[in-house]
Formats: sequence, structure tokens, C-alpha cells
Amino acid sequence: MPDTIRHDDAIELLPWLVNGTLEPREYEAVDLHAKNCVICRRELDRLGALATALADETQGELLPAPDMRNINARIDADLARSRRGAELLDRLLDWSGNRWRLAFVLQAAGVMALAVVLWRVEPESEFTTLTTPESLPSGDYLRVVFDPGLDGAAISALLEAYGLVLVSGPSERGVYTLGLQDASAERADVSASLEGAPGVLFVQPVTGKDSP
Amino acid sequence: MRPDSSRKVDARATAGRERDLLARVRRRDREAFTELYRLYQPRLLAYLRRVLASFALADEIVDDVLFVVWKDAKKFRGDSAVSSWIFGIAYRKTMTAIRTESRYQAPLDRSMDTALLPATTSGDHDFVRAGLAELSADHRQVIELTYFCGFSYAEIAEIADCPVNTVKTRMFHARRRLRHVLPVLAGEKPEKGRDHA
Repeated sequence: MPDTIRHDDAIELLPWLVNGTLEPREYEAVDLHAKNCVICRRELDRLGALATALADETQGELLPAPDMRNINARIDADLARSRRGAELLDRLLDWSGNRWRLAFVLQAAGVMALAVVLWRVEPESEFTTLTTPESLPSGDYLRVVFDPGLDGAAISALLEAYGLVLVSGPSERGVYTLGLQDASAERADVSASLEGAPGVLFVQPVTGKDSP
Repeated sequence: MRPDSSRKVDARATAGRERDLLARVRRRDREAFTELYRLYQPRLLAYLRRVLASFALADEIVDDVLFVVWKDAKKFRGDSAVSSWIFGIAYRKTMTAIRTESRYQAPLDRSMDTALLPATTSGDHDFVRAGLAELSADHRQVIELTYFCGFSYAEIAEIADCPVNTVKTRMFHARRRLRHVLPVLAGEKPEKGRDHA
């Protein structure tokens, strides 16, 4: 015995009675109701006619045959991209040995990248050059970069030989600020001779900002 | 139409076959994809040509849909039929195209593609087309998915990603909009009075 169904529910389901997709229990209930309901029977005829008209409308319409050339090209490109990505990952894994090591390397690379970014965005006002005098008291100085291979004793010997004293340094970039032992000595002469000394890479005279 | 038990068995077998194909596509099996493409390309094309105003766009969207099937086969969760999943992709792409450019909404101006039409066109067809032209995109989709594609209301709810009651409500409104068309199609004489659809 099929379930009974309210008229409003039955008439709502008629489109799917027509297309044959109602579940058996629903079908029995709606069909039984429609047999005894003039309104639903008429609506069923109308919807059946609509279904037929829609089916007829495209009957005989020619559709182009499936052509997979475009989609195959897209899939080939997609597979090639995936392969390139996989190969890159494989190469990285080969090079780094294992996934943990790769993760460490990538993390280290990230930290380095961050450091570079932070270094690059350093405020301009804090950027100093070899000739920036702000932090020096008035007077004549030399800013010098030595060969990194020179040890402290060799640098001290050079300073002694050229009559220089260490004022500050080395900075993070290896720059020494040197003063003249003899205030009457010509800074230009000292600078010129120091430039030719072995182990000296760069010499730049600089003047303290309060000096005349 | 009475549910046919042999049809149900066939439908279950087809659904199982399609799930197998999709599982193979997930493993990047080109042969399985080709088979799935050949099964769905004609169905999708016929459907999209009905709901979009441009045959060229319909052709393009069919390939887009099936490319998504290739790319996203792993996203198929298996809680619906493969057909509902694939038609759901097509539905969303169609609605996006229509919302982006309303000129893409059906009715199809089939006069643009007369080479593809049967030699004769009955007056009924014009009448139906005029009626369907009155429908919003949502309502038109429910009509097409029901009558043209043969989906159940539960499947249409999955395709349109909406509750079952929304599907029924859209169908109700579509039938109301077609209330002048349906009696004529059924061969009734025009009558004055209330309409029950």
C-alpha cells in the first residue's frame, strides 16, 4: 500500500514523475494521487508535453564529434609543468640528501633572504660611508680597509710604521678609522704612502665634522 | 514515468564504471580520461548549448569543464554520482559566464547556427523557446537539468549545490512562468481562470 501524499507535495514532484527519477515509494504515492486528482492529471499532461517538446527541439541536431586535440594539448602542458616541478624537487632532494635537510636548507635560505631584505631596507639616515664624519671629533682621519688576511700584529706594525693610531674599528664591514700620531704630519702624504703598502686595500681621508 | 528497475540496475553499473574511470584519472591515466571525455563531451555539449546563448562559448566551456575533471579528479569525494559532480562543474561555469556577461544567457538564438538544425522547425519549438526565454538562469537550469538531462531533484540539488527544497521552489516558479506555454503545448484550448502550477 503506497504512502498517501498531500496535493501540494504531489504537484511539486510531478516534473520528476515525468522524467522517471522519483524513488519507487515516492512514485507510487504521487502516481496514486495523480490518478485521483483532476488538477494533477492535467498538470501531468502539460509537463509531459513540455518534456516532449524539449526533447523534439534538439532531436536530429548535429553536434560536432568529440575533438580532443585542444584538451590533450592542455593536459600535455599541465603534465610538463608537473614534471618540471617534480624534477626540481628531486634535484633539490638529491642535492640536500633528505627532506629534513632540504627543509633546513630552505629555512636557512629564507633567513638569508630576510636578512638581505632587512639590510636593504635599512633607513637611509643610518647609512654611513667611509667618508661620513658625523661620529668623529674634529680633526683629520683616515678610513682604511686592510686585507682580511692580515692579523692584528701585522696591522699594528703597519700603523706604527706610518705614524697612525687606531681611533675606531674595525666596523662590521672591516673599516678602520685611524688618526695621525703627529698632528703636524701631512695627511695627504701619509694617505698616499699607505695606499701603496702591502696588505692595504683602501684608504680614504676623512675630516671630523667640527674641524674648520 | 514509472521507475524502471532494469534502468536502475543499468544506472548503478554505469555509476560504478564512471567511478572506476575517475579513480584512474586521479592516477593520471590518459586512457581512462579519454573514455570519460567521450562519455561526457556530447552530454555536456548538448546541455551547455541549450543554456548558453553562444555555441562557441558552450564548446569552450565543455573543454574547460573536462580539464577541471582531469586536474581535480582527486577532489571528487565520492559522496555523489560522478555525473552530478561533472555537471556541477559545468553548472558553476555556466552560471559564472551568465553572471559575468548576461548576453550569454539562453535563449539560444539558433538562427545563428542553422546548419546544425534539423531541416524543419515546428511552431511548437518557437513557442517553447519563447517561453524558456522568460525564465531566469536559475529557473531555466532546473527545467533543462530535469527534462533535458533527466536528473532527479536530489541530483539537481547536488549539481546546483543547494537544498532540495530550493530545487523544488525554482521548479515551481519556472512552471508558473511557463503557465501560458504549457496548456498550449498540451493541446488545451485557452481558458480563463486560475492556474495551479
